[in-house]
Amino acid sequence: MKKEKKIYEDLTPFQVKAQITLIFVAFLFLFLTFFLWKVQILDYTKYWRQSEANRIREIILPPQRGLIKDRNGEILATNVASFQVAIIRENSRDIDRSYQRIAQLLDLELPVLQERIDKYRFLPEFQPIVIKDNLELKEVSQVKARQEEFPELVIQAGPRRKYLYQTLAAHVIGYLQEISQIEIGESGRNRRLGDLVGKTGIEREYEHLLVGKEGRILEIVDSLGRRRGEISRVDPVPGQNIDLTLDFALQSKAEELLEGKEGAVVVLDPRTGEILALASFPTFDPNKFISRFSPEEWLTLLKDPEFPLENRAIRGLYAPGSIFKLTMALGALDSRVVNEWKTFYCTGSTRIYGHPFSCWFKGGHGSVNLSNAIKHSCNIYFYQVGKLMGIQEIAKYARMLGLGALTGIDLPGEKAGLVPDPEWKRRVRNEPWYPGETISVSIGQGPIQVTPLQMAAQTALIANRGTGIVPYLFRKNLTERKEAAHVDIQETVFEKVITGMWRSVNENGTGRAAMVQGLDVCGKTGSTQVVSTATAEKLGEDKKIVRTHSWFSGFAPKDDPEIVITILVEYGGMGGATAAPLAKEIFRLYRENHDR
Amino acid sequence: MIDRNQLRNIDWGLIGLLILNAAIGIAFIYSSSHYLPGNYALKQFFWFLAALAGLFVLLSINYRVLVAYSLYFYTVAIIILASVLLFGRLTAGTKSWIVLPFFQIQPSEITKILVILVLAHIFSSYTKSSLSLGHGLLSILVVGVPILLVGLQPDLGTALTYLPILLAVFVVVGLKKRTVIVLVILALLLGVLGWSVFLKQYQKERITTLLSPGKDPLGAGYQTIQSKIAIGSGGFLGKGFKKGTQSQLRFLPARHTDFIFSVIGEEFGFVGVVGTFLLYFLFLARLFQSVSKARDREGVFITYMVSVMIAFQFFVNVSMTIGLFPIAGVPLPLISYGGSSLIANFLAISLVINVRMRRFVNV
Repeated sequence: MKKEKKIYEDLTPFQVKAQITLIFVAFLFLFLTFFLWKVQILDYTKYWRQSEANRIREIILPPQRGLIKDRNGEILATNVASFQVAIIRENSRDIDRSYQRIAQLLDLELPVLQERIDKYRFLPEFQPIVIKDNLELKEVSQVKARQEEFPELVIQAGPRRKYLYQTLAAHVIGYLQEISQIEIGESGRNRRLGDLVGKTGIEREYEHLLVGKEGRILEIVDSLGRRRGEISRVDPVPGQNIDLTLDFALQSKAEELLEGKEGAVVVLDPRTGEILALASFPTFDPNKFISRFSPEEWLTLLKDPEFPLENRAIRGLYAPGSIFKLTMALGALDSRVVNEWKTFYCTGSTRIYGHPFSCWFKGGHGSVNLSNAIKHSCNIYFYQVGKLMGIQEIAKYARMLGLGALTGIDLPGEKAGLVPDPEWKRRVRNEPWYPGETISVSIGQGPIQVTPLQMAAQTALIANRGTGIVPYLFRKNLTERKEAAHVDIQETVFEKVITGMWRSVNENGTGRAAMVQGLDVCGKTGSTQVVSTATAEKLGEDKKIVRTHSWFSGFAPKDDPEIVITILVEYGGMGGATAAPLAKEIFRLYRENHDR
Repeated sequence: MIDRNQLRNIDWGLIGLLILNAAIGIAFIYSSSHYLPGNYALKQFFWFLAALAGLFVLLSINYRVLVAYSLYFYTVAIIILASVLLFGRLTAGTKSWIVLPFFQIQPSEITKILVILVLAHIFSSYTKSSLSLGHGLLSILVVGVPILLVGLQPDLGTALTYLPILLAVFVVVGLKKRTVIVLVILALLLGVLGWSVFLKQYQKERITTLLSPGKDPLGAGYQTIQSKIAIGSGGFLGKGFKKGTQSQLRFLPARHTDFIFSVIGEEFGFVGVVGTFLLYFLFLARLFQSVSKARDREGVFITYMVSVMIAFQFFVNVSMTIGLFPIAGVPLPLISYGGSSLIANFLAISLVINVRMRRFVNV
């Protein structure tokens, strides 16, 4: 030691200070203990929940959607593996910077990405939001390789819908799109935003069967979103397959025939109501709507003036034209306004109620009875019949034969059409019914509107001699199927009308172009004026709108009918010239396939 | 050097508590880092062995000798700190490390002991009953220089741990009321100045988020929130060793270093926390009681300053993990991973034992 020190220096004051400090320390310990008591005991549940929420991630396993097949098992709609990338906002430390970097990584436009996420901003932070789907493998590996840098991104694999024949039966099958907020509310099922649901067609009608049940995995993740283990797993239940009544060959043929036209074809089996083909043209490729990110294509189609998305077969409303003469004939015979021998004289034109009315055949048909009137589609005959029946009777028989009401086909969006009568006119237009309108309606013109499917169903009813059908597409859906009523008209009345239809096709009538060797085809053509004759003359022949809609509806064979074909071609010209030859092609194909 | 008497007078109880706390530390370092590469628990064990060896080596030197030469050591330490600042490599955003071939050390930790020795030296012959202005300024200078150098690294957490040493000097020497008032005003002024001039944005955020951590849960408040979740979700008994989801799944930041207390809280619950408190209280009580065993002023100053320093760090760290104090980067003494801190604390405690075992010797 360098210097002398007092050994017994009084250090008591220091010792006291140390004791006081220790007491202070003890109090600090007590305080912290109480604080920890609050955190660990009183608030335990709250923190425990937070720690669980931190570490558990729910992964939804989408179920395989049911396949859609034709009547012979040909797969029309299937599922293929697909990858999508989703963002979990919770895992991002700086969300705005994340968006920029992700947009760059995935080659997305920043505003598009932000809009996308904005749409789902109210979802919990931990729920993945799909930001790009149908990834290419290159993109998948790109994201995977940089997972450490992008803990907020997850790759999800899942089935994706694929329509194997692109446009084939597109209107029947329908397509999927992202579920809307309203649909989530309506579904009552456990659906959430981002799910794809059937928006039209069979995809929508049988959504509940097709969709299956989703599975889920609860897994443990770390703070970087990396998987560390699994808590539970419920496997998804695949959706039910839908076997359609469609016949691939007939459907293909129908669409092939409509190519380049606007129109619809309905082919059905009158014995059961099975739809064998249901085509509408122009059409679309539903594969293009499945992506969440190219709505432009869909919007373009929505805005297309030719309405390719519309299913004309069930939603297109047209005046039935001369096909309505079958309805008239049945009504007139049944109500005994005329019998089959009653004749009217056709000079090509006539005056009724002071207005001129003309036959399509300017030269006139001469003296015509019912059978000839149907065969030649004589207007004058049915003007007279209509005048005798009156609008109320006409409307009654039209409704009895299924017009003005839904056929009940298992497709969404079917339209009922319109059977006009004075009551309707008063209600909708607040005008009285003019007698001249009755004359127009007698040949299927004027305000009367039908769908091609209704015409097919009525043709089936005629073919069945009074037994109606409810057309359907899903073969196994027997329990839900409605029984169509048998109309209270004598079978002999049907035979008389059918004779006229047979003669129309086979005895050089207006339907002769539908004649098929070896198949007793019965049919009726129709040509519907879209604009009045006067307007047509003003516009001239070259305008498309001047041309009539072209109808054919018929069945075969005459006895024990097996097939009904209804064809509508918009602005197709005369029914006998445009629609009937198309029907012939389909009848012929049907015959070939059944002779084999 | 050490004779048999002195050996007998070594405070084996304190050493026992020391080892126990370090063992707890190694256990939880293992729990919170066994899934990481780097073998932190094993490394800490070697640091512990080195620290224990250092403790006994230092015991062999009379603390009075150490105090007598303290100014030289101190000067060397300041030069090292300054050169670290000038030539040091940035590691984790600070220049606080000396990188040696096999390990790194933080000179700022060891310097604390030298500050304590210098202050003991200065006040060994000071007999007034309260602090004079001259000695006050001198002690501020002694503590201030390393604070400044460490603060510039910038390692605010370690700089902060120098403050209790100064506080301990003031308390133990005694302050007039007037001085207390002046100091409080000075502290406030420094606080305002520090806030507006010295603190970096992230440091300010740490302080503001203390007040409302929920405001920015993914930013500055993230660590506090995750730490509170860890401790709170531990409940009464905890989730079990190596079963804390917050730490095992890495939601908890700096698990084996600054937030090791949260791991204890999560995996052993309230019981584990109170157990740790009891053990630590025994340890601190033993340290503070050593003040009464000192037979001279040097001894008193050394034991008191070491005790306050360790207690301060302990409370700052625990308060930080439960959101009562800004996240300052102060480790839990003896328990947190880190060789420099462990060795520094062992050596500091070695000084206390040194004082205690030489209480009967009149050399």
